[in-house]
Formats: sequence, structure tokens, C-alpha cells
Amino acid sequence: MAIIERPSTVPALPGGDVPQFATPASSYGVFRRPVTTTGWRSWMFTIDHKKIGIMYGVSAMFFFLVGGVEALLIRTQLAAPDNTVLSASLYNQMFTMHATTMIFLFVMPMAAAWANYFVPLQIGARDVAFPRLNAFGFWCFLFGGIFLNTSWFLGGAADGGWFMYQPNANALFSPTHGVDFWSLGLQITGIASLTGALNLIVTILNMRAPGMTLMKMPIFTWMILVVQFLLVFAIPVITVALFLLMFQRVFGAQFFNVDAGADPLLWQHLFWIFGHPEVYILVLPSFGIVSEVLPVFSRKPLFGYKFVVFSGAAIGFIGWGVWAHHMFASGIGPVSVAVFSVSTMLIAIPTGVKIVNWTLTMWGGKIRFTTAMLFAIGLIVEFTIGGLSGVTHSVSPSDTQQTDTYYIVAHFHYVLFGGAVFGIFAGFYYWWPKIFGKMLDETLGKWNFWLMVIGMNLTFGPMHILGLQGQPRRMVVYPEKLTGEGFFNLHFWNTVATVGSYILALGIFMFLVNVWHTTRKGATAPLDPWDARSLEWLTTNPPKVHNFDVIPHVHALDEYFHLKYEEVDTDAGPRLVKVRTAEELHEDQEANADKNIHMPSPSYWPMLVAISLPIMAYGIIFSLVLTVLGGAILLMAIFAWALEPAVADASDYDPPPQGGEPTMELANV
Amino acid sequence: MSGVEQPVSTVRRVKQRSAIAVVVVAAAAVLGGCARNAPQDTFKPEGENARKIQNLQWPVFVVAGIVGVIVFAVIIYVVIRFRDHGQEMPRQTHGNPTLEIGLTILPAIILIAVGIPTVSTVFSLAKTSDTQCVVNITGQQWWWEYEYPVQNCGGVEITEPLVTSGELVLPTKVHVLLRITSNDVIHSFWIPKLNGKRDAVPGRIHPLRMEADHPGIFAGQCTEFCGLSHARMRMDAVGLNSADFSTWVADQLQPATKPTDPLALQGEDVFRTQCSRCHQVNGLMEENPDGTDSTKPVVAFPDLYVIAGNAPNLTHLMSRTTFAGATFDLLTDSCRKTLLDASPEEFGALYLKGVTPECFNEAELREWVRNAPAKKPMYSSEAQKDENGGKYRGMPNLNLTDDQIDQIVAYLLERK
Repeated sequence: MAIIERPSTVPALPGGDVPQFATPASSYGVFRRPVTTTGWRSWMFTIDHKKIGIMYGVSAMFFFLVGGVEALLIRTQLAAPDNTVLSASLYNQMFTMHATTMIFLFVMPMAAAWANYFVPLQIGARDVAFPRLNAFGFWCFLFGGIFLNTSWFLGGAADGGWFMYQPNANALFSPTHGVDFWSLGLQITGIASLTGALNLIVTILNMRAPGMTLMKMPIFTWMILVVQFLLVFAIPVITVALFLLMFQRVFGAQFFNVDAGADPLLWQHLFWIFGHPEVYILVLPSFGIVSEVLPVFSRKPLFGYKFVVFSGAAIGFIGWGVWAHHMFASGIGPVSVAVFSVSTMLIAIPTGVKIVNWTLTMWGGKIRFTTAMLFAIGLIVEFTIGGLSGVTHSVSPSDTQQTDTYYIVAHFHYVLFGGAVFGIFAGFYYWWPKIFGKMLDETLGKWNFWLMVIGMNLTFGPMHILGLQGQPRRMVVYPEKLTGEGFFNLHFWNTVATVGSYILALGIFMFLVNVWHTTRKGATAPLDPWDARSLEWLTTNPPKVHNFDVIPHVHALDEYFHLKYEEVDTDAGPRLVKVRTAEELHEDQEANADKNIHMPSPSYWPMLVAISLPIMAYGIIFSLVLTVLGGAILLMAIFAWALEPAVADASDYDPPPQGGEPTMELANV
Repeated sequence: MSGVEQPVSTVRRVKQRSAIAVVVVAAAAVLGGCARNAPQDTFKPEGENARKIQNLQWPVFVVAGIVGVIVFAVIIYVVIRFRDHGQEMPRQTHGNPTLEIGLTILPAIILIAVGIPTVSTVFSLAKTSDTQCVVNITGQQWWWEYEYPVQNCGGVEITEPLVTSGELVLPTKVHVLLRITSNDVIHSFWIPKLNGKRDAVPGRIHPLRMEADHPGIFAGQCTEFCGLSHARMRMDAVGLNSADFSTWVADQLQPATKPTDPLALQGEDVFRTQCSRCHQVNGLMEENPDGTDSTKPVVAFPDLYVIAGNAPNLTHLMSRTTFAGATFDLLTDSCRKTLLDASPEEFGALYLKGVTPECFNEAELREWVRNAPAKKPMYSSEAQKDENGGKYRGMPNLNLTDDQIDQIVAYLLERK
């Protein structure tokens, strides 16, 4: 049993003098530090990467349902021509917020959830490098997301499309406060992404277990590392763009105003220089997840690990040189169009490498079709469809026919739903026992998977047809008389897509049923339910607060697998033999547990700093008084945070029940 | 790990199904051409530029389809062949560099084969030196205006600037250069059968080539999200042969005729007081106190009333077959069908007849004149006007009486 101990006494300097350090009191304010390990406080003020990961996941799934309801409303409106379920104004808000929610409030934080929870576990660390910054990031995301969605009740949500093109998103053409909520809300969630990215980069580069060189690092952690670098460079671009937009709308600046000599294409360049790397930010974490799942259930190492790592990094680099393919019709001139057309084709190569490597990972394996594996195989298939349709509109003249039609909607849903979301669901089924110690039900899981596969192909498959038949995006209605006749008429395929979206929703509902069922009477997970390969499975399910009783020494890629299996020569050639069980490995861990494990203590301040941001943002929209108030809270909380020691003082703990001085020695962890 | 095995047949089914989905998509691309009356089919070029795109894109679709089928075939094979049927633990092989490099070079070669014709088509579509006619196109919320400057347009002399809206009339087999811009937000001009789309950006003029093979109507739609009535901002291109185009130009340059019908004559008065602030009718004169026409033309000042600073010129409204952003039909359904079904030889004469009283779809125009924002969402209520600094976006409800509506409609019906 690990005990959190008081830090060792300050070492004496050479010569025997004891140095004099300023030692600030641990708690500024009237409250003691929130050190409890149970109840709501243990969640609200936690800085444990695992709890933060779970909170990221729960919040992201909540927003997933919100975005899903928005999608269902959109599809219901489009089920038939000239439909009147939604007004034009409401429809514009709906598709703007559907995209914004799914991208910024579901896929990005869901990737953050996986990264937070599993990167420290995969690299054999006890937490991230900056635990309080981590908590701050989560609260920024949650408060930013809630702030963004309060616009629905405060005069209407943003209605300019998630790309918010100028001048249509100006105050003149979008007079409600929706776009203000949008720009400020995304600014706040952007802070979450940026702090999270810096934190994870430092964690991955500095806190790997001894022996884990970069090329022995699990592939999921590699993909997360690439994504964090993308975030570090992409988020500042959108931050600048959002500031320009906010100043233009709120304070009358003229950055995109044609009458003042500006060019609205500036916004498009800024947005897509962020927006295209963003696509890889969304999809690479899921690539990482399936690159973990496929080897485990094929019982083979990832085929061409180095190729997958370098192709991931290559996607990260080339991803910066393709943004203008969103602007082939914008009028940027033939030279730019030709260059970006070619660079876009180029990025298909490293992406294709991944498909090939995943397929060859399964080749020669011993494949078990668990739900996690089905989602991973599903990702390969669906993403390939999305990738191939992507190649068709990297051909820019062809793209001028397809852009802003449903063909594009089909393409990016195959990439993002078939790619990012399927990867996320593979992660749920693969890692659920690790996080909660219970197995998600496989039968319900199969229902979940098949309904989602059928639903998504029925929803997004017909959109290829709709787009090539010339149905543009972002249309609240399509007129009956222009739907055409025969097999490819727009009415029929729109109805099919709508039916598909309901089936898809049913599939996701099955997941919720599964979670409910598992929570109530799910089977307890064994230590190593999947015969897994990476270090996160070395610890208990769920992991202890300090993750590992003893930090492992890493000797190989797939360290955990090689601890269990060894190759022995037999007459019939080399054979793989199981030499140790998961239980034995765990007993080893407990027997050799570190004596002193120092975990940082919870804190109020990250949350308080985060909550000041939406207060300031409301102020910018409604009254600057609130901004000043929020600013005051921000300054005070940052000051208190800066002076707070990493570890709580003994006086923050209750005295032991048998009496005596308060102490942290006996803190239950 | 019992209880998590997946019956092979099911897995196999999904793989097959996915493969079928891809084939269906690929087939859709090809068979899309079979759909009747799909007015915006992107695989059915009827002009030189759209054909260049088509010649480039169909082989790409075919290649993508073939690659997809190969990938899915391999996945199906792997999933069946290497399922867990009790075989030994596989060798822990980490890869095969030669194979990987080969499988990286292969797609690179395919992409080079796609890239070269792509680049050459991009430059060929951007060429403007061989165009024989110019039309200036301006988008605004939520309609398009076309201005033909003084020029020789493919052999037809245009002696005065000519302004129209909704339907872009083009001489067939002539390389026309469209110069596209916008008065307010970004729009996108798209006639799928004639060329790809090009954004209309305020402050910029974007060129786009266009050529129609034969006389007829080619449907299009604004494709850059432009606000509330984006879905109701449409346009058509109309191809006319050289002789018919010449007639059309001559007709368009005529000033408005004085109404003959007494109801229409009353309508002229209503138009002067209610409509002419924004809508220009060339040849409409101000009224003297005695009720006769003065020599002073009525000039519209839409920039005082609407943010776009523009409203459709109605001098020859009934020479067009649609109104309000080409969204609503001026023709009855049967007359529309006759026009769409007309052979290329008959089309021109039929189109030049304009909207005859027998073919007039009166109901829609009446509804529009009665309460425009109810028919097409616009920012044109009094409250929204105040919000927008005193100007409308789109046409407001003019609160006309039934009599006034009768008179206006009678007046407009004579605007040939």
C-alpha cells in the first residue's frame, strides 16, 4: 500500500548551512485545501490525470448527445422537400452548432480524455507534468462549452456556419449575439487545448519510464504527441482569427471590412490554416487507438511501427501545406490552386501507408472479433471510403463541382465519423475495463457496432449521390420540382439518409444502454482481459492513484507483451510461450512497491481561474462590469495558484479519529 | 475470452456490404447520368468547361473505385483467412521494409498520374485570353444581377449597357467570360452543367469561363452560405443561338412600354409610389400634376433602402421565367414543362415569347407582392430594419391593398 508522505526535509547545502526558503502557507483564503478522496469534492478539485480524463470523457459524451440531437433535427428537416420542421434561421443555427459541438466539444475533448488517462499509464508515469494546469484545461473546456451553448437561451446561437466566413458573420449580417458567443466560447476552449498540448508534450518528452526510448513508445502516445504539436501551432492561429472577429463585431474594428480596404479572404486563410491541421487533430488520436487495438486482437505487433510513426509525423507536417484546398472555388488563382491540389494529393500517401499497415498487421494474425476490434476494422473500411472520396476532390477542377455539395458532407463524415468516432468507440470497448474495472457487455456491444455501421452508411452513403446530383450543403429546403426523377432523385435519397440517421442514433443509444447495464451488473474485469501489449495493463483495473507501485524498466516496444511471452526454439521452429501471467506480474509490482510516492494535492485554483473566463466573456457581450469582475477573480486566483505549494500542508487534513495533530501521513489514497 | 468470438459469416457480410456500398457509390457516379430531370447533375456536362472537368474526373472516380475494391477485397480475405480458429500464436514480426516502401511508391505513382492532368486542366480552365464576350455578375442577398457592357458579344453588338437578373442569357458556342463579384457577403456562382463554381467576393472580381453547347435552360444555385435565404438564391443560365441572342439583346435594350390595360395603367401609379424607390424600370417617367408623363425619368435609389444597394431591374421582368432569385416560377407548370422539353431548335423562339398571359403563374407573384418576407425569409421587418441601421436586407412587406396588388400584377405582366 502506497502512502503519501511529507516531502523529505530540505537538504543541507555543502558546508552544513540549512538554506532559508520562503514557505508560503498552503491555503490562501478561508478554506483549507480540498484534500478529500471521496465525494463530489474529490472530483471538482482533483488534479489526478485519471479523474480529469474521466471528466473530459463524460463531458464530451454529453456534448456528443447534444450535437447528435442537432444532427437529427437537421436530418428530420431534410427528410422531404420543402419541409417546415425548422425555420431558416433555426436551421442555420443548427448546422453551425452541430459542427462546432462535434468538433470542439466532442471529438477534441474526447481525444483529450484518452490522452489524459492513457498517456501517463502508457509511458509508465504517475501523472502528467503539470497536474494543476491539466485540471485548469478541463474546466476551461467545460465552462467554454457551456458558455457557448447558453447562446441558445440568450438570443440565438451562432448562425454563420462553423467556418464563420466574413463578411456574413459580421454584426451587420448576423445581428444576434450568437457569433459573439461562438468566438468567445471557442477562445476559452482553445485555452484548454493549448495548455493540454503543452502539458502532454512535456510529459511525453520528460516522464517516460527508464528505457522507453521514443521508438519504444506505444503508438497511441506517438499519435497523441504529433497531435499536441499540431495543437501548439494551430490553436494560436485560430486564437488570432477569433480575436480579430471579436474586435470586428464588438468594438468596430475593420480587419475584414471591404469598404475599409480589407479583404474577406484573409479570414478564410486564417481559418483554414487552423482548420486543416484541425482535421488531423481530430483523426490522429483515433488512428493511435486502432493502432493499439489491431495488434492486440491480431496477436501480432503493429506492422511497420516505424512507418506508422513517421507517416503520422509526415501527416503532421504536410497537413500545414494543404489548407487552401478548402478554397479552390474562392478565387485564389490557378497557381495557388495547382500547388495546393498537388500537396493535397501528397498527403494521401502517408494516409494510405496507415491503411496498408493496419491491414498487414492483421495479415498472418490470430484475429479475435471483439467489439473493440470490430470498430477498428470498421474504421479501416469507412476511412478508406472517406480517403478515396478525398482523393477525388484533391483534383481541384473536380472539386469546383463538388465543393459545398453533399458530396463533401459525405466525405468528411466518412473521415470523421468513420475515422475519429469509430476510433473513439474502439477505445471505449478496449479500455473500459481498465478505467472502470468492468467489462462492457459484448452482445450489446455488437448491437452497438452493427447499428452504427448500418446507420452511418445509410446516412452518409447516399450523400455521395445527393452531392453528385448537385444538392448543395447548408440548404434549409430543397424544392420538390428540382428533386429529379428516377433512381437518383434527391427526395428518395434524402429520406434514406434521414432513416439512416435514426438507426445511427439507435446504435449510440445501445452504447448508453450498455454503459448502464455494465455499471449495474457488468462482469468484473480480469487484470489483463485482452492479453494486451502496452504498459497501462501492468497496473490494476482501475489503476491506483499513483498508477504503478514501481515504475517499470522498459526493454522493448510492447513491453508488457514481452514480459508475458518469450520465444523458445523447438524442433518445429521458434514458438511463442507464455512465461508469466498478468497476476504474477502484478504481484511483482506490489512486492517491489516504492516506499515513497509523492502525489500532488488537489487545488481550488485551476477551477477558479477557469470560471473567471466565461464571466469575462459574458461581460464582453452584455456589460463590461462583468469583465472587470471576472478579471479580478482571474488575477486573484492566478496569484493564489502561483503561491500554492504542490503538496498540501498537514494542517489541511483532519486530525486522526483517535486524536492528535492533523497529519497527511495517514491520508487514504 | 470465450463469448467474444464473432461468427465469421457476419464479419464477412459487413465486408461484402461495405464493398457493395463503394461499388454503389462508384456506380452512382457513372449512372448519375441516367437520372432524368436532375437539373444540377455534376456528371452531365453541356458546355466546354464542364466537359474538361468531366474528362478529368471520371477516370479519377474509376481509379478510386478500383483501389477501393482492391483494399476491401484484401481486408475481407484477411479477416476470413486469419480469424482465430485455434491456430498457434503468430510470429511477432515487425514489418517488411521492402514491401512497405513498395506500397508507398505505388500510390505515389497513381497520384502522379492524376496530378499531371489536374494541373494542366487547372490552367486550361483559367485561360481568359480567348473569350469573346464579357458579362459582369454581381451577387447580393439573395439574387444575382447580370450586366452586359457595351461590346461585340460573339458577333452580336451590344450598344448600350444591359442589366438583367436571375437568368443569365448566353449566346451558345461562344466563350463567355464572367466577371464575378458581390455587393454584400460572399456568394458562389454555379451552373453545374456549364462549369464548376466560383465565389463572388466583395471587393474582388473573379473570372469564370462559360460556354453552352446548345440552346436551353441550365439550372444553378448559390453554393457559398450567404445567410438566411441561402437556400432560395438560385440562378439559371439560358443558352440562345446567335440569331435569338441578337433578338434578345434588341428586346432588352427597348425602354418599357406604356401600359395599355387600364388596370395596368393604375398599376403604373402604384409602382411609381411603392416600388420605384428600389426597382428600376427603364423608360418609366415621372408624372405631371395633370396625370401625364413628364420628360423626367424615374430613377431608383436602392442604396438608400437596402444594404446591398441594389434591387432587380424590372424593365423586362416578363422576358424572364422566374423571379426573386430565380426561386419562384413566372410560368405555369405546363408551360414550364413545354419550355424544358422544347428541342434546341424550338427553344429560342419559345423563350423569346416570354411570359404570355396564358402561361402566367399569377398566384406566386401575387403572394410575393402581398408579403415578400413571408414567402422567402429576409431581414426586412421594421424591427430588423432598425437593427440594420435603417436599411432592409431583401424586400419588405409593403402592406398593399388587394386592389393595389391587382394593379401591380397587371402592370408587371406587361413588362416584356
